[in-house]
Amino acid sequence: MTTTAVIVGMAEIHVTKGAGVFTCLGLGSCIGICAIDPITNVAGCAHIMLPESFADKPVDKPAKFANTGIPELIGMMERLGAERSRIVVAIAGGAQVFKFGSDCATSKHDIGARNVSAVTEALNRYGLEPKGSDVGGSNGRTVTFTVETGIATVRTAISTEKPLATLRD
Amino acid sequence: MMAMENVSLGLLELSAIREMANTGLGNAAKSISEFTAHNFNVDVPYAQSVALTRMPMLLGESENIYVGIYLPVKGEVEGHIAFLLPWESAQSLWKMVMGRAPRTPAEVDEDAASAMLEVGNSFSGSFLNAISDIAKFSFGSTQPVLAIDTCSAIIATIVGEASQGDADSLAIDTEFFDDEHKISGIFLFLPTVSGLKSLFAALGISKAA
Repeated sequence: MTTTAVIVGMAEIHVTKGAGVFTCLGLGSCIGICAIDPITNVAGCAHIMLPESFADKPVDKPAKFANTGIPELIGMMERLGAERSRIVVAIAGGAQVFKFGSDCATSKHDIGARNVSAVTEALNRYGLEPKGSDVGGSNGRTVTFTVETGIATVRTAISTEKPLATLRD
Repeated sequence: MMAMENVSLGLLELSAIREMANTGLGNAAKSISEFTAHNFNVDVPYAQSVALTRMPMLLGESENIYVGIYLPVKGEVEGHIAFLLPWESAQSLWKMVMGRAPRTPAEVDEDAASAMLEVGNSFSGSFLNAISDIAKFSFGSTQPVLAIDTCSAIIATIVGEASQGDADSLAIDTEFFDDEHKISGIFLFLPTVSGLKSLFAALGISKAA
């Protein structure tokens, strides 16, 4: 691949118009969201850490939380010309990587699962249903999204790269 | 020295942290020595403070397999502790503790996992004991959990857990060695901002604003 991938770090959103490759490295309990409006070629990628912003604290980075990150991603794409109704998305992440230990069976370390429901819910508010989804389980993931082809792929520490979704017809 | 999201630490604070880490990890090395019947020494090459969301970038933008042991810290100083071992170091540790080591992450069974959790328990307990001796704090016990995954996925998950509270992060690179073996690892101590303030107050240094 000749294009250098843009690393979308924790609590970051990157958007582009035209071309580009986005990568979310090491999604543990975090969730990577790939989104594109195929007509205007506006695409974006968000790396969300937590389900919900804190009531008693200002939001330093909207992309940190599902409830503020999804609106931010869509807003940023709209500012580049995307049409909300045409946006298609794929999501990956939300694993419980700490799988051994007595506290794993309880709900103490379930941020991953809570992230999955919060992201799904936030997307639903925009009428968005993920076209591809690889969530939960106990393995961390890396997601790569190539804007030109609309192809999102996912890999884990133990599995090779596999397709997540094709966000263009 | 690096700016953090909530506080910025000066050289004085970082050197105090390094001292504390030396003492705490020295005590932890003793616990590993007891487990393995090898005489381990500890070396703390450096301590750095890192903004939580930048931690994966600085420490963990690596797809190498690590074994991560993590536990929340409760008590007068609250926060999180984690210890990350590169896979090969974890294998050496397993060999010393159990006489055998899983060849691949998929081979890690309940026995291997609980052996590593025991090491982690004793390790973090000794670290916290040393700190509570220095600072006269008491800590409550919590149960460690274990992950085997890429360094980046483990660190990102710990950052996620820590970001739920007002944790600050201190990354302490460390190496344990005896005559034949070297176990390297990353030790993370993520006290809350208020916990860090109490800690500095107890160590007799006021923290830079």
